[in-house]
Amino acid sequence: MGGSASAVRSAVTFTCGQCGAGLSFDGVRTQTCPYCASPNFVERPPAANQPDPMFAIPFAGDAAWAHARIAEWIGGRTVFARPAFKHAVVDEMRGVYLPAYLYSAVAHTDYTAQIGENYTETEEYETTDAQGNKKKETRTVTRTEYRPLSGRHIGYVTDVIVSASAGLPNDELERVEPYDMREMRRFAPALISGWITEEFSRAADACMRLSREEAVELVGERLRRFMPGDSYSDLSWRTKVQWETLDPMLVPVYVCALRYGEQEAPVRVVVNGQTGRITGKVPLSWWKILVAVIAGIAAIALIALIARHGK
Amino acid sequence: MTGPCTRCRTPLEDGDLRCAVCALPVSRALEPTQHARVQILRCTNCNAAIGFDPNARAPKCGFCSSTMQIEEPVDPVETAALRVPFGVPREAAVESVRDWLGKRGFFAPKALRDEAVLDTLQPLCWAAWIVDAQAQVAWTADSDAGSHRSAWAPHSGVAQLRFDAICVPATRGLDLEEARELTPYYELSRAVAVGAPGIPGETPAMIESFDAQRSAARRQVQRAIEATAKTRVEAFIPGRRYRNIHAACMLEGMTTHRVALPAWVVTYRYRDAVWRAIVHGQRRDVVVGKSPTDWAKVAVVVLISAVVLAAIAALILLTRK
Repeated sequence: MGGSASAVRSAVTFTCGQCGAGLSFDGVRTQTCPYCASPNFVERPPAANQPDPMFAIPFAGDAAWAHARIAEWIGGRTVFARPAFKHAVVDEMRGVYLPAYLYSAVAHTDYTAQIGENYTETEEYETTDAQGNKKKETRTVTRTEYRPLSGRHIGYVTDVIVSASAGLPNDELERVEPYDMREMRRFAPALISGWITEEFSRAADACMRLSREEAVELVGERLRRFMPGDSYSDLSWRTKVQWETLDPMLVPVYVCALRYGEQEAPVRVVVNGQTGRITGKVPLSWWKILVAVIAGIAAIALIALIARHGK
Repeated sequence: MTGPCTRCRTPLEDGDLRCAVCALPVSRALEPTQHARVQILRCTNCNAAIGFDPNARAPKCGFCSSTMQIEEPVDPVETAALRVPFGVPREAAVESVRDWLGKRGFFAPKALRDEAVLDTLQPLCWAAWIVDAQAQVAWTADSDAGSHRSAWAPHSGVAQLRFDAICVPATRGLDLEEARELTPYYELSRAVAVGAPGIPGETPAMIESFDAQRSAARRQVQRAIEATAKTRVEAFIPGRRYRNIHAACMLEGMTTHRVALPAWVVTYRYRDAVWRAIVHGQRRDVVVGKSPTDWAKVAVVVLISAVVLAAIAALILLTRK
């Protein structure tokens, strides 16, 4: 067993001329930006007024683990991908602590909706028998009665994470979420030792606006599950958020470029450094899609032909 | 204790990263190292730079493999303050499992009770929280009050409720379903302080640690309270019949006690496969777990059902003609 830390010094800060990401690290060698693989990656002094992260979620897997997740991901996406994609090679994978903000609030929501309550009725209808005679029969039909409902929904909105990174926009981070918040730790320098950390490059105000939008959308999801009846329509709501908090934090991601052909642009892949969830834009093979569409149409036509012939 | 949360008045506990109810972050005392963005830690064995190793969950030296320090969680991991004593002795637990194996239903192997071999029988006190809280509960439901053509009409409302002694599983040893099935049968009033002298003849058992912070278990607590709230709001719904009850709770002033609940964890072997069952530590008639299925019986039933359905279909067709 070793002892405690014996030396402490600051890391070096770099900025990417391509995507604008500012990254701090030491003990890690790279000549390209981990986000966009641009070689336009220059050293600069650390940015002023950087917020101190309050929390961090530690990496739960090493680079070999991330490679294995990517290999699985490629294997599961080769049906409509370009043939060369299944031989894609991972280029310069980096584990990066991404700057983000953690938002929470109290949400009071007033809603109105039309609630559909089903009921059954017996109705008469006219039919023709085998001999061509018209006769009346009855059948049971389900109808829906809509009733207005208004009310109040209350609750806390927690665990909303928005990206404060220039290199990785929020929608891309959303695609690798969620993080298991049970593993969240109070930020300590030892947690990020030896890893690349991006500086906070999006203003807290902008992140607050983004978080609020996510919070209102989250309330909408809850309301949709909150509605009684057999169905509903015209659901509208007005949410008032109070007691908002926005705290800087760091979340782990692996970022790499997948190269699958010399002439092709690399595909950027982002891996959740805790859960292994992956996002990336798979290059599609249009001829494979065309063949699948034609085969689908042919199958439908064949079934229709058999059904017609059967009659 | 560090005082109540300013947003929801829930008492905060030492080590809470965020409020266990409303997730309001708990600020830490100012520390001089807080301004350092990145620190390079050096191994005192070989002076190499050390990085955080995800596999070791701690900073680890890449050269001499020394783990620099086992990460000291800023959140202390708690142990139970109360425990519910065992009321089922070992022999009774074995008998309960045998009885349970004999009543696994038609699709279980006929010889399961006699041929299953008990591998291990471990007494364990699993971790749970006992929660008291107040809550504003918004609810919606359908009831027969005010109904027109349909038998149901929608209703909504808000109620102020108090919840006492709600048991929320905090265990990782048992799965959530097992814990949920066992929970209603514990007599929490019999809980004694951990470390208090044992009851004569009581089974000594290992007590599971809480490996999740109370604040990290917010979802489990919220889910457990909402499940109780759905039953409690029935009193506020107008009419005689109701359905589709939904409840949204905003908890306030929640207090928790950590408790250890007794159970016998049994592993048994049936024809080379290992299965697990849990016997309740206070009620020998409550056993939960998984057991093998006799797929030959399933195949016969499916076959017979198919033949019966085919016969009915043929009969209908013949009658129509």
